[in-house]
Amino acid sequence: MKDNSIENEQLEDFLRKARLPEASPELKQRITAEARKAWKQTTGEVSWLIPLRRLAASAAAAVFIILLTNYSSERALAKWRSGESLPVSAEYETPAEMPYGTFAKNLATLRRKPSAIDASALRDHVENVRRALDESKQNGISISPAPSGGSSFLVPAGTGAGSYS
Amino acid sequence: MNEKLSENELRAALARDDPAAVELIWDRYANDLLAYLRCVLCSIHDAEDVLQIVFVRIVRKRHKLAKARHLDAYVYRIARNEVSGWIRRRKRDRQRKLADESWLVVRQGDDGPSDLGEHLQAALNRLPQTQREVIVMKIYRQKTFLEISRLLDMSLSTVASRYRYGMEKLRTLLGSMET
Repeated sequence: MKDNSIENEQLEDFLRKARLPEASPELKQRITAEARKAWKQTTGEVSWLIPLRRLAASAAAAVFIILLTNYSSERALAKWRSGESLPVSAEYETPAEMPYGTFAKNLATLRRKPSAIDASALRDHVENVRRALDESKQNGISISPAPSGGSSFLVPAGTGAGSYS
Repeated sequence: MNEKLSENELRAALARDDPAAVELIWDRYANDLLAYLRCVLCSIHDAEDVLQIVFVRIVRKRHKLAKARHLDAYVYRIARNEVSGWIRRRKRDRQRKLADESWLVVRQGDDGPSDLGEHLQAALNRLPQTQREVIVMKIYRQKTFLEISRLLDMSLSTVASRYRYGMEKLRTLLGSMET
C-alpha cells in the first residue's frame, strides 16, 4: 500500500513536468464577445416570463389533446348510437354449425340482435296490439276472464304446472 | 475565502442581470473548463469551439444559473452535456480525422527529454476518458477528489477508484513506451 502511494507520487511528479496551456487573450476576446452578444439577445426576456410562456404552451397542448380525443371518441361511438344497426357479417348471421336445439338457436339469434331499443318501433307495436284488441272487441270476440284460484289462464290445463308441490 | 467572494460577486452580477458577469464567469471557469475540454476531446481546436458554445449556453441559462445551489456543478453539467453532444457528432462524422494536436506542453526550463510532452500526451490519450478527466483535473488543475466528485456529479469513491486505476494504467503505458 505504501509502495503504491510512493509510486503514485513519483508518477504525479513526472506528470507535473508537463502542463496544460491557459486560455489565450485572443480566445478570451472571441468568446466573451460571443457571450455578450448572446446576453444582449436575451436581455428582453424577463425571467418570470419564461415559465409563463411554458405554461401557456402546455395549456395549448393540453386543449389540443383533449379536442383530438373528443373528436376521435365521437367518431368511434357514432356507429353505436341507437337507431343505427351494427353491420353484421353474413358469416356471423348464419353460423356454419349450431350445436344446440331449437331453443338454443332462437336464444342465440335473439342475443345477436342489436340491444338498442327503438322507441318508435315499440310505440308502433303497442299501437298495433291495441288496434287488434279494439277490433276483436268490436267483432264481439270475448276474452275469457282469468281463471279463479290465482292460476294464470296462460298456463294450459293439464300440463301439471300446478302439481309440482 | 477568495473563491467564496468570487461566487458571491458572480451571483450578485447575475441577479442584477449585469453583462459584467461574463467577465466574472470567464475568470472563474475558463481555464478549468478549457483543461477539462482539452483532455476529454484530446484536441485544442475542438476544446476552444466547445468552450465558446458552453459560454453562450451559460449566458442563455443565466437566470437558472443565478438560482442554482452549486454554481460550479451547474456550469460543469452544461459543459458535460455539450462535450458529449460534440463527441457524438464527431463520431457520426467519420470522414473527419483528429489532427495530431498537442494539448499538453512541457514546462519551460524543465530538464526532461524533448519528447516528454508527446509521450505523456500519447499515454493519457490511451486512457479511458473517465479516468483521463479525473487525472487531468487532479494533476493539472489541482482539484481535490471532493471537488472533482462535485463537479463531475459522481461519488467520491468512484473518483478515487478511477484515479487509482488510471494511474496504474498510465504507469504501465509509460513503462512500455520507455522500453
